[in-house]
This record gives sequence, C-alpha cells and structure tokens, in this order.
Amino acid sequence: MSEFKAYKKKIMAAANDDRIHTALSRAIKSYRANTDKALKKFPHTVKMAEEVRQIKEKAIPQMEALAKQAAEVIEEHNGKAYIARTAEEALTIITDLVGSDRLIVKGKSMTGEEIHVREHLEKLGNEVYETDLGEFIIQKLGSPPMHILSPAIHVPHEEVARLFSQVMGKDFPPDTEITTLVAAAREFLRDKYFRADIGMSGANVVSADTGTLFMIENEGNVRLATGAPPVHIALVGMEKLVPTLGDAFKVAEVTWRYANYDIPSYVSLVSGPSKTGDIEKVTTYGAHGPRDFHVIFMDAGRTELARHPVLRQALYCLRCGGCLYECPVFAMTAGHFGDSYFASVGAVWAAMVTGDREKAAAIAYTCLTCGRCKVRCPMQIDGPEMITELRKFLAEGE
Amino acid sequence: MNSHTRDLIPPGLTYLADNIITRQNILGASAEAGSRWAKDLELPKSADTIFFAGCGYQYSSQLESLMSLVRTMDKSVIGTELPMRLAGLFRKLGVDPAGIYHRLFSRSRDADTRPLRDAVTVLRRLGLEFGYLAEAEPCCGASLYFTGLRQEFSRNARQTYETLKSFGVKRIIGIVPSCTYALRDLFPQCIDGYDLEVRHFTEVVAEHSSSMELKFPRDVRVAYHDPCQLGRFLGIIDEPRKVLKAIKGITLMDTRWTSGQWATCCGGGGGFEAVFPALSQVLSVNRARELAETGAEIVVTQCPGCIMQLETGLKEAGFDGIEVLDLAQIVAMSLEG
Repeated sequence: MSEFKAYKKKIMAAANDDRIHTALSRAIKSYRANTDKALKKFPHTVKMAEEVRQIKEKAIPQMEALAKQAAEVIEEHNGKAYIARTAEEALTIITDLVGSDRLIVKGKSMTGEEIHVREHLEKLGNEVYETDLGEFIIQKLGSPPMHILSPAIHVPHEEVARLFSQVMGKDFPPDTEITTLVAAAREFLRDKYFRADIGMSGANVVSADTGTLFMIENEGNVRLATGAPPVHIALVGMEKLVPTLGDAFKVAEVTWRYANYDIPSYVSLVSGPSKTGDIEKVTTYGAHGPRDFHVIFMDAGRTELARHPVLRQALYCLRCGGCLYECPVFAMTAGHFGDSYFASVGAVWAAMVTGDREKAAAIAYTCLTCGRCKVRCPMQIDGPEMITELRKFLAEGE
Repeated sequence: MNSHTRDLIPPGLTYLADNIITRQNILGASAEAGSRWAKDLELPKSADTIFFAGCGYQYSSQLESLMSLVRTMDKSVIGTELPMRLAGLFRKLGVDPAGIYHRLFSRSRDADTRPLRDAVTVLRRLGLEFGYLAEAEPCCGASLYFTGLRQEFSRNARQTYETLKSFGVKRIIGIVPSCTYALRDLFPQCIDGYDLEVRHFTEVVAEHSSSMELKFPRDVRVAYHDPCQLGRFLGIIDEPRKVLKAIKGITLMDTRWTSGQWATCCGGGGGFEAVFPALSQVLSVNRARELAETGAEIVVTQCPGCIMQLETGLKEAGFDGIEVLDLAQIVAMSLEG
C-alpha cells in the first residue's frame, strides 16, 4: 500500500492546486464549445465514428499481420521498418539508429512517452528538443505531461514567461503577451530543425496497404521535424494500424474532430524517404526531405491486450482526449490521475502494457465509474466496464 | 481469497465488502435497525411484487456519520486507512462501529428514511400491491462488484436470488439506483435463468404521472441531479423529468452541459468516497455549484449517496438555503398539496 499512499498524496496535492483547476475549467469550457461547433459543422462525423469503431474492431485482432504488411510496403519503397516485441527492443533499435552526440528534434508522441524515449536518448548523450510548444514547456520544466493533447495544460502563461526567461537567457516579465511567448519559442527552435541530425515522431494512424503514416497537428513543428533533418525515425504503437488508406482517412478525421478541431492546420502523410528522379530519371534519395526513413512498430503488450475480451477496448482509443474533459476527477488532478496515459485507458495501459500492477490499482480505484467518458468517446469505450473488469483482474488475479 | 490479492484494494473498500459478506449490509449494522422505518406500515413479507429498500437509505444516517468521521481523519495526519482498519477490527470483535458513530454524530433518522416511507405512500396511492422483506431483505452486493470482488459478488447474487425466490418474489420495485442496476443488469450475468422483473420506482411513477393530480405546496425552481447509475447505467433520464414536469408549482431548471447523460457525478461514485474522502468532498462542492448556478431552490435527486454528497457539497459551498430532496419526497408532498 505504500505506493498507493504516495499516489494519494500526489492526487491530493493536485486537487489542492488552484492553477490546475483554473486551467482545466477554462479548457473544459472551450473544449465543449469547440467540439459542439465542429460536430454541428460536420455532422457526418458521428456516423463516421461508428464506422471507425468497426474499422478498429477489425484491425486490432490482426494488428501483427497489419504491421508486417506495412513493414513490407515501407521496405519496398526504400524505407526501413522494424517490429519491436517489447519496449526494450524498441529502445535498442533506436539506440542503434541514433548512437550518441546527435542533435534530435522531436514531435510529440504518446508512444514515445510510454517508453521514455527522450530520457533514453538524453542518457545516451544526445541533445533532444521537444518541438511541440506544450511538450517543450514541460520538458524545460522537468514535469510529466498532464494531458495527451495539451501536455502543459496545467501551466499558466505567467509561469511560461518565468520559464522562458531562464531557458532563453532573455527577460520575459510575467505579463508578457502569449503571442510574444509563442514567437520566442519559434525563434529558439528555428535553427534546431536545420541543424538536427535526426527528426523523431509518432503517428496518429497508419494504413497497412500503403505504409502511410498520418500525423495530425496545428503548430507545423511535426512538418519541420520530420521534413528538415536528413533522418526521420517514427515510433508507432501497433494499435495505430488499420487495413487501408481509406480507413486511415476516416480514423484521422474522427480523431481531430473529437480533439475539438473542425479542421486541423496540417495533416502530414508520409510513406517513404524523400526522393527525386529529375536528373536523367535516376532515383536519388534525400532530395529536400530525409534520406533515411525508419518506422518502428511496437507491440509491448498490445497483442496480449487485444486478446482480452473486455480490456481490449483500450486499444480502440484514438487519443483525442475528449474523455478527459468529461472526467470530474481529471478536472481536479489533471495527468496525476494516470501514468503515461490517463483515466481508464491509462489504468488498463499500466496493468497490461507497462505491467505495473500497483500503479494500475491506484489509477483504477481513483475512477468514479460515473461513465461520462463513455458518452463523449467517439469509440464508445466503456470506461466503467473496463475499470470494474480491471479491478476484478487486480483483486482476483485473472 | 488470499490476502495477497486483496493488497491492491484500498482498505476503505475492503471494509465495506467485508460488511456485505458477513452482515448483509454495507455498514455491518444490525438488520433490525435497518428495517425499523417500515414498522408501522404493515407491508406483507410475502408478495409477488416487493419494494426493495436497499442499504443506502436504511443505513444512511450511519453512513453519513461514518463518512464525516472518515473525512476528518483523511484531512488529519492519521489518514483514512487506519480508522477503516480499526472499524474492521471492531466488527470482528462484535462491536457495531456504525452504531457508535451514529450515536456520536446523531441526527434524526426519520429524515434519512423519509424517502422510503414516501415511496411507499406514492406506490400505494397508485393502487399497487407490494410487500417488503424487512430484516430479511438481502444485500444486492453491488459494492462487491465495483470493488472488483467478482467471485464474492456472484456468490452473494445467487444467495440473494434464492432468498428472494423463497419469499415468492416475481417482481421488484427498486429505489436505490445501484441496487436496481445490480438486480436488473448485473444479476442476469451470474445467474442462469434469472427471471425477476426489476423496475425502478421512477419508471412506475412516470407511467402514471399524467393521470395523477400533483401539486407542490408552493411555487419553486427545481434542479434535477441525475445519479450516474440511474441515468447513464439504467437509462432512466426522461422519466424523472416527466414526473417533475407533471407537478404544478415546479419549474425545472436543467443545466446545459451537465444534465441527463452528461450529468456530473456527485463525487461518490463506485465507492470513491471511501477511498478518497477529502477529494470526494471537493467533487461534491463542484457539483453543488453547477446545480446552484441554475438558480434552483431545491435540488431533487434519487440516490442516498448523491443526497449525502450534495448536502455536504451545498453546505461547504455556502448554499445553505438550497434543500436536497428525494424525488419520492417531492411526489409525496405533491399528493398532499
């Protein structure tokens, strides 16, 4: 119970932190209003979400085969693809590809967070820059992400100003305008993209038939991080694979819509390294984009989880983050209610993927089982059902 | 079950679970105390249709006293786990801790069991014939299910089913949402050939609400709080609103984002208040504010847990003037009007 006690202390400290509630209550209000508006503007999304649920139900049991199929297509197009059975295997592959003393620019990736890839690369002696603004802030703060889409959701702008003053060696008073802070981050990171040896990313969805990675974003950092450096390494959880390119478009659209965007600014589709045949029709790699393109498909407990009749639902999660805005506990504690992933999906992940039963129990018993997450979820993931099943699994050991 | 597997369950929940297993009620109190509210109502014990009162209301005064003690402890240095363990020890020694707490923090028990008496009055006014098992009423064991003790839950469910059958029960009218949910949706999952027809009090009343003359004694603005298990789990969302709208003098104030299937939990869901008493109170204050912002003078709900949470939340948030009433009370008051 000692880990539970420490966790409870952390939860209560968060619940007593007014910054979290202020930031979250603003975020919840705007999430609900934006999503409402986006769904009214594109009403077909609700039906499409049902279709995507069916796509995921079909894809999850065969994700291993889909990963192999995608890997073959990627290799045919001069990319390199890897299947990592475990988190350790994925880290070994990355170690071999990266080595040390390299400059790396990184897009936000939950799968990367799951295996602590940034910390791993830093330990190897690499210089790693998170380029997503929220992720950049929490990297510099040394704090874990507090939301899957908005990792720095708990940090008010006064604190960002203080942090940037330290990091950039330039004074930003507490009342610095947000636009000035955003411009400062842009300025600070600008040359890193072009000096970087390697760009790293995840993917929101991958089509197995074409080996295409879909990356949804608004800032443009993923475009730069995966386009400017000579090498692109993508780490993808196997649950992100769907059979066809058509399926992937549907998954992508539903994901961003429930992530409160009517239309995101950028969706990058990447299927291979940069190439040209413009001089004498001789195919040459590394034209303007990366010469080397590596994709790692990681299992790490996912295929085992896919065999569980109830808990497999967690693999349908699109990471839109909608459920978190509906969770009364999350509104008070943010990402402290979770591990790498949050709330009910986070509890299942802790138990089945990262395999930390004590942590899983702590998260599982923090759930109210109130079920409002399910009402929001485009995949109709039944939070209370997963949580009670997980409690049974933890209490009865099966 | 070995002790190792229980290590992962927070002690507050194992305390409640042990009470169900050994005493057939969530607090480990005596069954005679639980059924006292119905002493003068002369409800038959053997009947086709029974009213299932559940632990929540019958033991709510004890539960409230226990929780207020636990909350105080949770905020202090002692922590909640110790008192929960002590309580378990008391129970093993045959001491009735809930009874002790009840005497310590005594309040009128009439107020707590009032929804049950009112529900009986309303159902009788509808011309329904039904019984009540009184001290023989078994515990549905829903807490076992939500704690994760599925085997214990299944065993308890089969035992409960046998008890109900032995009294000739065919139909059940439930009033506590979690008991009704367990009896209607969870029992069939672990009992072959489960044949009890289970309905909630509000469904029965809603069916007849148009034919009833209902008038509340005064004009009031009312906000309705959907209990999670009644609304989202059992899907009973329109019925309570239909009943409230049928009552003259009542103006229903629904919140925009947070009612019906989107209703915010009171903070007491799934045994949460026993594991995180202090945080549970914070959540009750949040919900109380949402309801108070509608301008309501009365908050109506129908779950003993929600009532306790919302009363605490409204008081803590400084809305002492807003009353929390059970739907059964509101309907009973409107019959008299």
